Amino acid sequence: MTQPFLSIRGIRKSYGAVTAVKNVSMDIAEGEFMTFLGPSGSGKSTTLYILAGFQDPSGGDILLRGQSLLSTPSHKRNIGMVFQRYTLFPHLSVGENVAFPLRIRRRPQAEIAERVKAALKLVRLEGFEDRMPALMSGGQQQRVALARALVYNPPVLLMDEPLSALDKKLREEIQFEIRRIHHETGVTILYVTHDQEEALRLSDRIAVFSQGEIDQIGTGPELYSNPATRFVAGFIGDSNFLEATVVESNAGKARLSLGDGVMVEGVPLHGGSAANGKASLMLRPERLSLSRASVPSGISVTVRDITFLGNNVEVSTATPAGVDLAVRLPFGHEAILSLARGEQAWLTFDTASAHAFA
Amino acid sequence: MSDTVATGAVKTKRESTLGYLLPALLLIAFFFIVPVLMLLMRSVLEPEVGLQNYEALLGSTTYLRVFLNTFMVASIVTLVSIVIGYPVAWLLAIMPERWSRIVLAIIVLSMWTNLLARTYAWMVLLQRTGVINKTLMGLGLIDTPLALVNNLVGVTIGMTYIMLPFVILPLMGVIRTIDPAILRAAALCGAGKMQCFLRVLLPLSLPGIAAGALMVFVMSLGYFVTPALLGGTSNMMLAELVAQFVQSLVDWGMGGAAALVLLVVTLVLYAVQLRYFNPARGK
Repeated sequence: MTQPFLSIRGIRKSYGAVTAVKNVSMDIAEGEFMTFLGPSGSGKSTTLYILAGFQDPSGGDILLRGQSLLSTPSHKRNIGMVFQRYTLFPHLSVGENVAFPLRIRRRPQAEIAERVKAALKLVRLEGFEDRMPALMSGGQQQRVALARALVYNPPVLLMDEPLSALDKKLREEIQFEIRRIHHETGVTILYVTHDQEEALRLSDRIAVFSQGEIDQIGTGPELYSNPATRFVAGFIGDSNFLEATVVESNAGKARLSLGDGVMVEGVPLHGGSAANGKASLMLRPERLSLSRASVPSGISVTVRDITFLGNNVEVSTATPAGVDLAVRLPFGHEAILSLARGEQAWLTFDTASAHAFA
Repeated sequence: MSDTVATGAVKTKRESTLGYLLPALLLIAFFFIVPVLMLLMRSVLEPEVGLQNYEALLGSTTYLRVFLNTFMVASIVTLVSIVIGYPVAWLLAIMPERWSRIVLAIIVLSMWTNLLARTYAWMVLLQRTGVINKTLMGLGLIDTPLALVNNLVGVTIGMTYIMLPFVILPLMGVIRTIDPAILRAAALCGAGKMQCFLRVLLPLSLPGIAAGALMVFVMSLGYFVTPALLGGTSNMMLAELVAQFVQSLVDWGMGGAAALVLLVVTLVLYAVQLRYFNPARGK
């Protein structure tokens, strides 16, 4: 049995009566890019801050190579971190900012100069040594922060929504850079974000946080194709939800009634499996099909709107009960030409791609 | 065309601003600039035309000692105020708002209390039979009362107490603008508490220290009440000297010269602060 590189074990954090983190456990492999994904207040940042040593957990432990980190103060953990806000030292030049951790560690001057140069080269800011942080753009400042966090070769790099202050185009550019730097350095990265696209783009694995707990840990495709909870299904990718009743379930597959006599079979069921229980049926917009002709097992809907989105077309529909269902069809799909607002249509889907959550 | 219109609008605005400033400018002109000029005139005209007042002032060891004493007291008071005031300002900057408001109110309230009352209170506390000496003797820590008043010690204590708010307030303002995340970043970079303070917090609060120090130093240079009441005859300060020239000796020439030397020193210090420590100029 190999010992995990970084192990978070049953971390809890409460402030008086409020519990921010309930019970977070995970093992992270060396060199892995792990993202904590969740809405604000889901406990992802608190977990990261506990790793950094800025907060003490109410319970649980964190082990790095089998050694507990909790009794080590922040400045001795030898962990790198890039923050949400710009945290370069405003009174120091870019070069001195990057040199800071090495000066604290009393490295010889020649080594400092060499490593600062290499770190700035890594983030593609060679020759910026003498620039003051105030004269740099937000993206450049975060790159310098990244160089400063990596210059002392920390075993783990923490990133707390480092791109949230940047505009979309710059964000994508730096996401690409972070990926490259991860490949080049092989550093283990723990990354916090509320942006699912960013998480999918960057991560080896994603831990989805909800209300202080981890709902699911997995690769992007795993979370997308096999979400464990309704929350994960709603957070990763786009999704529609329909209220349904579980008629019977067997070996993780369920037969559901959608009302009006519509029945679907063979839908993977997650969570409780009591017969006649309420469940939510999750349907991905891109896995739905529309047809104008009546289909026996189809869901009858009314077309509300048709929106052209480039390579695909989004059709907003509504069931007779008033539930909105989005359908995404490839541009040029035959159904689009014959559809118009206010018309009746039938939705069909592959039951294996749908998920029900009790 | 549109440029002309814009310039015109700006001009109108500037003129109206000047209008608002006019009463204050007139006040300063009549009650500060004119008297200063008159004093300057008298210092070079009385008792006869020439610079003999300045020669006498800067050539005599007695008067030089007063200058020296003034600078020494001002320096000590400035230093002690900053050393004592910095931790207070830091605490005020990081403590929860509702607590800092109460502490701030106490500090400001002390500034609003009558200066004479506060200085006499220190006299009572510091004198040979005062509370401090009695307590120390009662505890058996000293046998004979310490000389805490009518000397430099008394002046330093009394003036530091009065000057503290002038250090705390600007320092607190500057420290509040420092993002705590920057200190967290420093900690993760490996900096312990002392390193964080010396390498990050202190350099970043330098503009506040400079502003507070200048304020205290300049105010201390010209301070009269506290040195007069708590100081001894052997360590007279410049303001006392001016008062002596004008009130006791009725020598407006010498008094004016002493006052102007003080003013020039103050202006030079202010220029240095503006040049090197003005946060608006950047670095």
